[in-house]
Amino acid sequence: METFLAALFSGTSRGAVFALVALGLVIVWRGAGIVNFAQMGQAMFSTYIASTLITNGNSYWVGFVVAIVVGAAMGALLDTLIMRPLSNKKKTELLSSESMRAAVPVIASLGILGALQALAGIIWAAEERGFPAPYPQEGFSVAGNVMPFTSFDLFVISVVLATLLATTLFFKKTGVGLAMRATALNSEVARLSGIRTNFTRSLSWAFSGAASSLAGLLITPTSNLSPNTLDLVLIVGFTAAVVGGLDSPAGAVIGGFLVGMVISFVSFYDTPEDVFLSILGVLLLVLIIRPRGILGAKDARRV
Amino acid sequence: MLEVKNLVTSFGSVVALDGVSFTAQESKITTVIGANGAGKSTLLRTISGLENPNSGSITWSGKSLIGMRAEDIVRAGIAHVPEGHAVISELSVEENIAMGSLFRRRKFKSDVAAAHDEMYELFPRLKERRKQLAGTLSGGERQMLAISRALVSRPQLLLLDEPSLGLAPLVVEQIIDSINTLCRSTGLTVLLVEQNANTALGVADHGVLLALGKVVADRPAAELKADANLRAAYLGY
Repeated sequence: METFLAALFSGTSRGAVFALVALGLVIVWRGAGIVNFAQMGQAMFSTYIASTLITNGNSYWVGFVVAIVVGAAMGALLDTLIMRPLSNKKKTELLSSESMRAAVPVIASLGILGALQALAGIIWAAEERGFPAPYPQEGFSVAGNVMPFTSFDLFVISVVLATLLATTLFFKKTGVGLAMRATALNSEVARLSGIRTNFTRSLSWAFSGAASSLAGLLITPTSNLSPNTLDLVLIVGFTAAVVGGLDSPAGAVIGGFLVGMVISFVSFYDTPEDVFLSILGVLLLVLIIRPRGILGAKDARRV
Repeated sequence: MLEVKNLVTSFGSVVALDGVSFTAQESKITTVIGANGAGKSTLLRTISGLENPNSGSITWSGKSLIGMRAEDIVRAGIAHVPEGHAVISELSVEENIAMGSLFRRRKFKSDVAAAHDEMYELFPRLKERRKQLAGTLSGGERQMLAISRALVSRPQLLLLDEPSLGLAPLVVEQIIDSINTLCRSTGLTVLLVEQNANTALGVADHGVLLALGKVVADRPAAELKADANLRAAYLGY
């Protein structure tokens, strides 16, 4: 029973972070049609900035806020400086075919990832360093028993749930949110409605950058920080996004929690070495049973 | 007045518009008719900024539209309802209409609300379904929604691409009637593209006949309608 509870709690807290990563991926995918492999590179970079601020005597919260703002700015900048010019070059020979047009931004995102990792290695050296948690990472004590649940876990879960709630309200209730959804769903109709789609698309990148930076801040206290630590988080987050259905934000959240649970239960009941095998299993299973993901849109499109 | 001069738009080696010139008078309905592939949709898409012309000029009230982005052309008062009931199926009826007035929501707050109410008055069926997703609507309702989405931006010029496509005659009549009433009562200028020439010429003041990217006739609608030779040669009936 104790192992079960421990696995459940740890799964919830990990799942929350993966949900955030998957949400970041889904928002850029919907908004720009690009799987952004640089996403966790951006998060790594902004977490390093937070780490530098904190080790230089600033409070954790200064680092926290700065990292999220930097994450958002970096996302918007990557879109305006690299991705938008690339996708606008529709008439060049290189981008003449549909498949190349889809592939080029993805390759660019891999390039950005490499560049960010190299840059982080140059600036901060490539060795691992710790990253602080704002709340203790020891289990609560109830009547002398240490529970498998820490104040930090509670923090992670509440921050993620608050973010998800705020995101949902933002998309559903505000004009800018509607403009972003419209751009993602049908950019031509959005433009004909007077929506400046270049701007809303950059906003999606900024949003995704902020969400993944938050994920970076929440996961590095347990995983440590190095230029490559978040690579695995991207892989797991991407799996979560695909499992949920790449074009559904709600699916991303479900996928994130599902994958978090699988990882947690496998490492508690089996061994941590089997974690990736089990994720691969989940991915295959979902792709076989529901190729579009749990909440993915149906393939049928009206012509 | 909308003035199009020597407009050329091509896609690779395919020339869709081959030197098109015509004018559309203010507060009148001008229809562009012609067979499939005549370049009618490309003409509207070039005017609304979705396609870039190779050469030629387009001016609205003396202001050139060439080089402007589609989203800014809407803001300048030209709304385009593209072919195929262009609404966003995953959004509700209300959201689709709201989308068209997003850019006005701060400056003209009270007018935006009034514009929404007018749309529901114009098409009461949309009001009943305002919480439904647009994807659940019938073809006719979706066309009404697409037109509402364009009209809430308070355009001076409305570009309508084949509103009758795939709709039952009764629904077509209803939609065309609404447009006609709107034009006559508010002074809206309408550029109506139609394959269904009879319906279009019946309601329009002026007609432009396109064939293979060229203007072959540019006359008052009634005259065009009466010309049996043109009909037989270009419209096939």
